[in-house]
Amino acid sequence: MSFIEIRNLCHRFPDGTLGIDGIDLSIEKGEFVVIAGKNGSGKTTLLRHLNGLLTPSNGEVILDGMSVGQDPRRARRIVGMVFQDADSQIVGETVYEDAAFGPENLKLDREAIRQRVVNALAVVALERLSEQRPHILSGGEKRRLAIAGVLAMEPEVVVFDEPFSNLDYDGIRQVLTQMLTLHKVGKTLLVTTHDLEKVITHADRLVILFEGEVVRNGAPADLLEETENFGVRQPCAARLGGEVPSWLD
Amino acid sequence: MAGLTALGYISGSGRLHRWDPRFKIVALIMVSLASLGTSLPVLSGACLLMLMVVIRAGVPPGALMRDLKPVVLLLLFIFLARALVTPGEQLFVLGPWPVTREGVIAGAAICSRLLLVLLAGVAVMASTRLSEIKAAVEWFLKPIPGVPEKRVGTMLSLIVRFLPHILDQARETGEAQRARGIENRKNPFYRVIRFSIPVLRRTFLTADQLALAMEARCYADDRTDAELVSDRSDWILMGTTVLLCLCLLMF
Ligand SMILES: Nc1ncnc2c1ncn2[C@@H]1O[C@H](COP(=O)(O)OP(=O)(O)OP(=O)(O)O)[C@@H](O)[C@H]1O
Ligand SMILES: [Mg+2]
Repeated sequence: MSFIEIRNLCHRFPDGTLGIDGIDLSIEKGEFVVIAGKNGSGKTTLLRHLNGLLTPSNGEVILDGMSVGQDPRRARRIVGMVFQDADSQIVGETVYEDAAFGPENLKLDREAIRQRVVNALAVVALERLSEQRPHILSGGEKRRLAIAGVLAMEPEVVVFDEPFSNLDYDGIRQVLTQMLTLHKVGKTLLVTTHDLEKVITHADRLVILFEGEVVRNGAPADLLEETENFGVRQPCAARLGGEVPSWLD
Repeated sequence: MAGLTALGYISGSGRLHRWDPRFKIVALIMVSLASLGTSLPVLSGACLLMLMVVIRAGVPPGALMRDLKPVVLLLLFIFLARALVTPGEQLFVLGPWPVTREGVIAGAAICSRLLLVLLAGVAVMASTRLSEIKAAVEWFLKPIPGVPEKRVGTMLSLIVRFLPHILDQARETGEAQRARGIENRKNPFYRVIRFSIPVLRRTFLTADQLALAMEARCYADDRTDAELVSDRSDWILMGTTVLLCLCLLMF
């Protein structure tokens, strides 16, 4: 059995919209999976089932052998989530406190919290700003703070929802570097995007969502030809028949 | 989002920042009570002193002025209302209304009272982290049976956390509407409705998102709270405050 097993997952919103419809997906420990799809294809809805923020209308998500619905708090400890909108994710009054928010909720003692926060801020290179107010950080710094807040909880899986939106070239490269570091230390990564160009070379697997269903699931190299059928732009290099270069080179 | 700077925590390590939050809350309540003292010169002196405390706490004076502008306008309004309607010795005439000496004094006293409490509030907000306020409130409520102190603390800190957000949103919406010429509409009801509905909607939306983000990070009432420790210098500062408040009441 895989680390994450999604079985026939359906979600109908109260107003009747079908957000996702019958998704089956298994993800192994340590995998780097990119989930692509156009606006409204159900990416965010899918991710929110992984840590129990949404309850399925049908089907279930099994995390390391146990259903998410059975113990959402356990799911939230295993799956850390970096939201699409970094602004609304900030809850602390200083950078340090924001990163400490998660560990405090886990009821760790003060010293353990301090350790984790210092480490997490160092990983995203924000330790210099630890006493700064989060709201005046730049977009890229906010995104990195959101990542630090998740890292401080030491989750097994890190989920990024559109991590590159609103970021400039430098910001994208910084976030990308962070992802690769996490991947290297064995974390499982799930990244949603509608723009494959920036991340696809580094991914182990590509899943394409279309109107709430998984329409393609496989090695990125095999699928890049077809993405445009589902409203996802094909990376330039792939169109020209070459390999997509990394944004980090 | 870089809006409000004065109303909120400003990191620092001064005496006020290090003061035990429990004492700060008691001191705030005492200053509010003492502001009922009547003498105008003492009150305005207290205001000046409090202003110095606020600035020492690290609040930039410029930002303070800007963020408090609506409040100052309100105070001015109260002052005028008082000055105009209080009967007494006439100083001069403003349009059809006589301005009285008693009115001016009463108005100034009320305004400095409000200003004093307001500045004290700003000083506490600037020097105390939300988590400390939460911990202090919980500490006060703990001995009272039947009060779920963790719940109340959480609610309180959420409200305080959200205030600057709402004000920011109101300001942004206002700017967006002015950019599209709302000022050409003379009907104030139309403008109020056009303004408040989007602000409310956005506030609820952000509240929703914030709640999700907090949930995703395992938020619960029962969490590691800020430590509360007090030493002798905390008590000395408290004693000084008590003395000053007594002065305010006696003179
Ligand atoms: N709260 C809601 N109520 C009703 N319908 C919703 C709600 N949230 C999302 N939907 C609908 O569910 C579908 C999937 O939305 P979702 O946010 O998962 O898409 P997405 O792939 O994340 O899109 P984007 O790229 O814009 O972030 C969309 O059709 C959307 O309109
Ligand atoms: Mg989305």
